[in-house]
Amino acid sequence: MRFGLDEAALAVRDAAAGLLAAEVSPEVIRAGWPGGKEDLVAAVWRKLGAAGVLGVLVPERRGGLGLDENSLVPLLEEVGRSGLPGPAAETIAVAAPLLAGPGLSGPGLSGTALAGVLAGETMVAAELGHGDLVPHGSQAPLVVLRAADGLRLYERAALPLEPCATVDGSRATARLLTRPAGGGTLLTEDPEVVETAWRRGVLATSALLTGLSLRMLGLTVGYVRQREQFGAPVGSFQAIKHALANALVAVEFARPLVLAAAWYQAAGAPEAANHVCAAKAAASDAARLVTRTAIQCHGAIGYTTEYELHLFAKRAWALGSCWGSPDWHRARLASALGLSELGLSDQQGVSS
Amino acid sequence: MTDEEFRRAVRDWLADNLTGEFAALVGTGGFGREHEFVTERRAWERRLGESGWIGLGWPVADGGRGLPWTQQVIFHEEYARAGAPGRAGHIGEQLLGPTLLMFGTPEQKARFLPGILAGTQMWCQGYSEPGAGSDLAAVRTSAQLRDGEWHLNGQKVWTSLAHVADWCFVLARTDQRAERHRGLSYLLVPMRQPGVEVRPIRQLTGTSEFNEVFFDDARADPDAIVGAPGDGWRVAMGTLGVERGVSTVGQQMGFQREFESVLAAARANGSIDDPEVAARIADAWIGLQVLRCTARATLGTAPTGTGPGAAPGTEANIAKLLWAPWHQRLGELAVDVAGASATLAGPGYELSQAQRLFLDTRADTIYGGSSEIQRNIVAERRLGLPRG
Repeated sequence: MRFGLDEAALAVRDAAAGLLAAEVSPEVIRAGWPGGKEDLVAAVWRKLGAAGVLGVLVPERRGGLGLDENSLVPLLEEVGRSGLPGPAAETIAVAAPLLAGPGLSGPGLSGTALAGVLAGETMVAAELGHGDLVPHGSQAPLVVLRAADGLRLYERAALPLEPCATVDGSRATARLLTRPAGGGTLLTEDPEVVETAWRRGVLATSALLTGLSLRMLGLTVGYVRQREQFGAPVGSFQAIKHALANALVAVEFARPLVLAAAWYQAAGAPEAANHVCAAKAAASDAARLVTRTAIQCHGAIGYTTEYELHLFAKRAWALGSCWGSPDWHRARLASALGLSELGLSDQQGVSS
Repeated sequence: MTDEEFRRAVRDWLADNLTGEFAALVGTGGFGREHEFVTERRAWERRLGESGWIGLGWPVADGGRGLPWTQQVIFHEEYARAGAPGRAGHIGEQLLGPTLLMFGTPEQKARFLPGILAGTQMWCQGYSEPGAGSDLAAVRTSAQLRDGEWHLNGQKVWTSLAHVADWCFVLARTDQRAERHRGLSYLLVPMRQPGVEVRPIRQLTGTSEFNEVFFDDARADPDAIVGAPGDGWRVAMGTLGVERGVSTVGQQMGFQREFESVLAAARANGSIDDPEVAARIADAWIGLQVLRCTARATLGTAPTGTGPGAAPGTEANIAKLLWAPWHQRLGELAVDVAGASATLAGPGYELSQAQRLFLDTRADTIYGGSSEIQRNIVAERRLGLPRG
């Protein structure tokens, strides 16, 4: 295993990073909230589509880049860092490769859907556990759900979805009133494909979290360098330096874990499942520490909605608890390591 | 009256009075909820005042009841137990009142204490400014005595209840040439006048309980200065020394209730079977005992610094270093217990108790002196470490 990114991963990451830095202003992030200008968000997604990165996990013959999780993680970290609203993990990591699955190339919902996803025209929500809350389920026109026989794709309009208000206003969550027994389009019946889709969702969410963490750290470092109290930048005080150094260390510990989990998963290694759990636990914990530290080091301004930090903080809190909370992943890991049979709830995850 | 008789009297009064129009106020107000039912809570203040429940520890000669601290504690216990509303008049009763008792002239006491005791006069605190947060001595709002009046210009921020307050006690610079702490004065400024503008600040909870306050040639009477000109820092800091932990009793009862609600939620949804959650609940319980025992150990003893001129004690600083991070962790536990449902909000960004507990407590380690500042104070005053 090497931790350096290969050329393809670097190219994908850099293409996305440049585009996102130029396009995702705080105005675009706020546009993802209720009453916001959705067009602004949609325009950035189309640009990501035009840049080709949404098909990172889609085979080249189906119009994608034909890359693997090693390229997925750096890309999603950049999306996380940018604050771009929308179901990035679900669309890029979960839905796109499923839609390109064998036997789904003909006409019909999944055949046309792939083109829309790759072009950035169509966002896809996904709920691969057994919960009734579907993040982005009131926004994305397509929804991937776990069914008794595997994973199925639905048009949102065909599902009993009730929009919910959310603390992170850009979550566009909907409640699934009843889980359909069948219907839609069967994407896969293969349990291995289902497990892979789940792990990719977890990995992508972990990468979004490290990206968000880096963004909040950067925002905070910028603030404490210019905010003066006692005649000096507050960032010159040890209390602030130590807190931010601890936050940085937490993210720096989490990032290689996420990359390593991606490598194991891409290599088809049997230990991938455990590494994916470790990655999500570490990335969620790091994001929570960074969020707390960022608000603390900003002082009261970080507690207002006028300032942009709360947009990232609320995103981080939401992502930390979905695709398996850190507690859930630790319990799964403990069980896999033979430490404990306790604490496994069937609320989340597909393998529980 | 014995303590037990007093307790019964408080309990009976609360039971008789938290009825009718006031029944809906149970559980409202307090930090994070200061914006709720403000008009009704003002009416409740008047009810408290009429019945003699304000200024329990103040000297009888100043209109208080001169009760011993044990009975003040009982009042706070019973008040919290009944879920009586967060006090809208606490800034007047607990901050300005003690300041006037310590530093005010007989005329100032006669003018302002009766309104506070009657629950009819609301106060807000004009300390923080955009450039003066942790570094409060960097206050730039100016006050100048011209034509027989103080003229105030400048901006305050994070001012709780400014939109309903009648008066504001303002730390302002009266001597532009003096450095930092010197040159500050403590002024009593009416809020309802053309030169004062209040703008609400929206918090990440979606609500507004803080405000910005702009003084644009606002006026105050020439004798509306507490202490001498240039003595404002000593006056403002002097009040900090009177904290004996009495009012923290009610706070701890609130913490106990919050803890119990988290525990009940964990039992109800089965998350308590998760060993990690169970361990965190146990830690929270231990922390609650630490808070209680520490408060009881200092309750009723003289603070290390008391009275004008004494350096303030560090009890309140230590207490805040205990409760603020504890409360913050409880908030984190509350949303973890709630699980995915904690990501949902109600209509109009209405939040659940667990969500409020989580979001409100993000500010606990910031307001009223951040944890970093509290640690500096404890290190310098208690341990005698050199100032940085």
